[in-house]
Amino acid sequence: MTPRRLFHRVLALVRRDRLERELQGEIAAHLEMAERDAVARGLSPAEARLEARRQFGGVDQVQELHRDARSVRWLDHAARDARHAVTTLGRDRGFAALAIGVLALGIGATTAMFSLVDGVLFKPLPFPSPERIVRVWETPTTTTSNSTTTRTFIELVRQTRVFEALSAESQSSATVDAHGVPVRLTGRYVSADHFTVFGVQPALGRAFHQDEDQPGHDRVLILSHAAWRTHFGADPGIIGRDLRLDNVPYRVIGVLPPGVFDRQRARPLEEPASFWRLNGFTEQELSMGAHWLNPVGRLKPGVTLAEADADVKAVRARIADLMPPWKQQWSIAVEPFDRLLIGDRLRQAIYVALGAVVLVLLIACANVTNLLLTRSAARQKELAVRAALGAGRARIAAQLLVESLVLGLAGGVAGVGVAAVLMRVAIPLLPAMPFTADVVLDLRVLAFATAIAVGAAVLVGMLPAIRSSRGAAAEALNAASRGSSGAHDATRRTIVAVEVAVSVVLLCGASLLFQSLARLRQVDVGARLDGVVTMSVDLPRDRYPSGNALAAFYPVLAERVQAVPGVLSASIAGDVPLEGTGGENLLLPGREERVLVRFKRADHAYFATLGVPVTNGRGFTAADRIGAPYVVVINEALASRLRERFGMQDPIGQLVDLPALGFGPDRRASMTVVGVVGNERVRSDLRAPAEEVAYVPMAQAPRMQVKLAVRTRGDAAAAVPAIREAVRDADPGLALADIRTMDEIWRGSLSGLTEPAWLVSAFAVVSAVLAAIGVYGVLAHAVAQRRREIGIRMALGARRDDVVRLVMRGTLATVAIGLAAGVAGAAALSRLMQSLLFEVSALEPMAFVVGAAAMVLIAAAAAFVPARRAAGVDPSSALRSEG
Amino acid sequence: MLYVSIIDMSNSKPQNPAQSDKGERLAGTLDLLVLKTLHTMGPLHGYAIARRLEQMAAGQMRLSQGTIYPALIRLEQQGWIRTSWDVSETNRRVKLYALTRAGSRQLQAEVRRWQLASALVARVLGAKA
Repeated sequence: MTPRRLFHRVLALVRRDRLERELQGEIAAHLEMAERDAVARGLSPAEARLEARRQFGGVDQVQELHRDARSVRWLDHAARDARHAVTTLGRDRGFAALAIGVLALGIGATTAMFSLVDGVLFKPLPFPSPERIVRVWETPTTTTSNSTTTRTFIELVRQTRVFEALSAESQSSATVDAHGVPVRLTGRYVSADHFTVFGVQPALGRAFHQDEDQPGHDRVLILSHAAWRTHFGADPGIIGRDLRLDNVPYRVIGVLPPGVFDRQRARPLEEPASFWRLNGFTEQELSMGAHWLNPVGRLKPGVTLAEADADVKAVRARIADLMPPWKQQWSIAVEPFDRLLIGDRLRQAIYVALGAVVLVLLIACANVTNLLLTRSAARQKELAVRAALGAGRARIAAQLLVESLVLGLAGGVAGVGVAAVLMRVAIPLLPAMPFTADVVLDLRVLAFATAIAVGAAVLVGMLPAIRSSRGAAAEALNAASRGSSGAHDATRRTIVAVEVAVSVVLLCGASLLFQSLARLRQVDVGARLDGVVTMSVDLPRDRYPSGNALAAFYPVLAERVQAVPGVLSASIAGDVPLEGTGGENLLLPGREERVLVRFKRADHAYFATLGVPVTNGRGFTAADRIGAPYVVVINEALASRLRERFGMQDPIGQLVDLPALGFGPDRRASMTVVGVVGNERVRSDLRAPAEEVAYVPMAQAPRMQVKLAVRTRGDAAAAVPAIREAVRDADPGLALADIRTMDEIWRGSLSGLTEPAWLVSAFAVVSAVLAAIGVYGVLAHAVAQRRREIGIRMALGARRDDVVRLVMRGTLATVAIGLAAGVAGAAALSRLMQSLLFEVSALEPMAFVVGAAAMVLIAAAAAFVPARRAAGVDPSSALRSEG
Repeated sequence: MLYVSIIDMSNSKPQNPAQSDKGERLAGTLDLLVLKTLHTMGPLHGYAIARRLEQMAAGQMRLSQGTIYPALIRLEQQGWIRTSWDVSETNRRVKLYALTRAGSRQLQAEVRRWQLASALVARVLGAKA
């Protein structure tokens, strides 16, 4: 068919009425003329009429042929069916609203979840050739990864052949003057090639030049688009101006385009990065053995991951001699950048949630199928009449399918609305999204929504269409208004059993996740978190140029904050609980063996403020300052480790060897253990056992970036304005950032389990409610159908509970089958989310009992209403009425 | 009686889909005759076309007159004929059909094809005889 003809045929669908009218007119004119000619030939008017008709042939057939010729017949039918469906559904508003609502819920939830999956897992990273972006990790053991040293990084740049660009990234923060208000911003130290790695060009100004990451040339800065808008009024004139970072002037050379980098965070709760400055390594940094750099690189075109990995490993082997002996066996590895962003657990959580939502969609479809079956049973007569009037079986099936398609599309449109709301409300509640995740309602998501709407419509419509079109017309017409057949009921019961089974799977899954979450919440963090608020403060180098200056300022700051009304105690530390802290090697004097410990700076008020109990010896005092003998406090995990490894029965008074961190070259010192404290959780991973921690006094290891932890009476967050005021009193140039209560931080460390637990339970509840609607529907139908029978039984003396038992029996059997299948299914599927579970077996019987019990309760509640209606049947009225 | 069978075919069943998919080809012999009629006679309305066809066949063809209307809409949708409004002798608004330029090109092509085909058939039948 030529395109022109096709166009006209489709157009004919729209112009149907006019074309039909014109044809009628032509035929009428034709017949008139033929008649006239026949009369002219001498026939009587009546004969002429007949003759004209005879010559013309069947008018109806010609009209049909004309329709076939001018239009696309099946589309024409579909359009008519769609109109018919809309009218029919309009007549049955309650049914339409329920069906569309249920579908919208299923489609909406699935669409929202798909947008998440798509944004996080499917869409390529929003950079050119993202598969070439890699991260380089040191791997002290095969299962751990570590940042690298300056030395190693420089050798990688010098000796590797596989990278087009390589940049060393590390955390940075600085206080910046924004319109007279000091603001502490987080940022990154990077190499000049950093944005080449990501293939990103600044929207304003320029990127770093190759030679700018040398000391002396490195006072240049690139701002994120968000920071430029928020803090600098989106002023394009900022390019070329100097911005003072901790009172050191940096020239602003570029502003990034809006997008992904506006969301780049190092940790879930952290502020996104606002600026990038260069790492011009100082002499001291070059010689440092500290692992503080995270290299990120872009592979040359055509270089495989394996080649890159081999090259990097070869370089590491060549420079092994430069390493201290105990590091010589460490290895190094190249990993795709996206795997770093999307950890295995997040991936699994997303898949579990997606699986759950697909189950919900299936139940929603099953429910609507059931509704349609009920309805088509009621419409059996209408369909039988149509069949008797000559509609073919295929035509009737097509009509029913078009009806469900109309339902599906309406559900789809409403579902997109539901998805938009869900994405608006729910996605911000998920903090652990990688910064590259672009979760939006775009064309891909809309295409997906359309596909599942159509899929759902077909799924939902198939069964009723097949069943109804098969029903013999005569049988339906002859049957008295006794409702549907037994076969219909069996189908509906099967569907309900499936719904119950799927709901049980979800309920068991939710139960498992919640038990895990409960266990995780019970993990002893070794500190009292309530009533504590924490914040970051940076002390600028120009005002606090030495360790002494810093150490002298800490007590001043702490005292000011301590004096704020409502503050019980204030502490200054390197890090607060659960937020992570660096690792160092601890040695015993004269021994080669090393113990990797978490290393934490704390002032004398830290243990009291955070409620970390001192179990042996003492905590720190104000006397543990620079110049005084080095002291260290260890936690119980470390004490028992020392006991096991070195037979150290009482650590108090013993000497250990640790790095003396502070201002000055990297060196180690012997320190006296003065106390043992409880096992404070220093990192957010609560699933891992408590780690060994060594604490050193803040004043003996001063640093510029510090944390303030404040215990208050009552609401911790409410004290923040007064604390801010006190900090400004101590030094007007200081800005507070990362203001979070310890409770928030703790909740953050539950993240990764909280969200899947709530998501799966929300889906479980929705599906259980849908299953309950199914149970209700079947039972209500059974009661309505057996009203006469019930009436007779009651007239013959059956008691109410006999009647209730009678109607409930079948339903209970259905639910029981569903339960059994569901528990079996849950047992088979729960293994898939093994890695999300914590201290709970995937086959934990309790979880299954809870899940099944919840389903039984919900089903019983759903059965209650129709059962009561059955018991309330009035025998005389039931017997008198026909139905 | 060759015509009869061909025209009866296009009468009994709308059209063979496989045939209509051949793009620019005519759907049936009836279409060709309609085009030729319009080519010879100039613009005509449906009844006149039907009458003319019957005259030409001179009793050798049994035509249900109504079947020309599906043929006419088909040709119109192809752009080979166009319609305008006219008033019939019975004082009714009727459509007047006229050949378009594309239609006369199509007619030429089809006539040539037809001649080739019938010459071939004639040759084959002649050779056998």
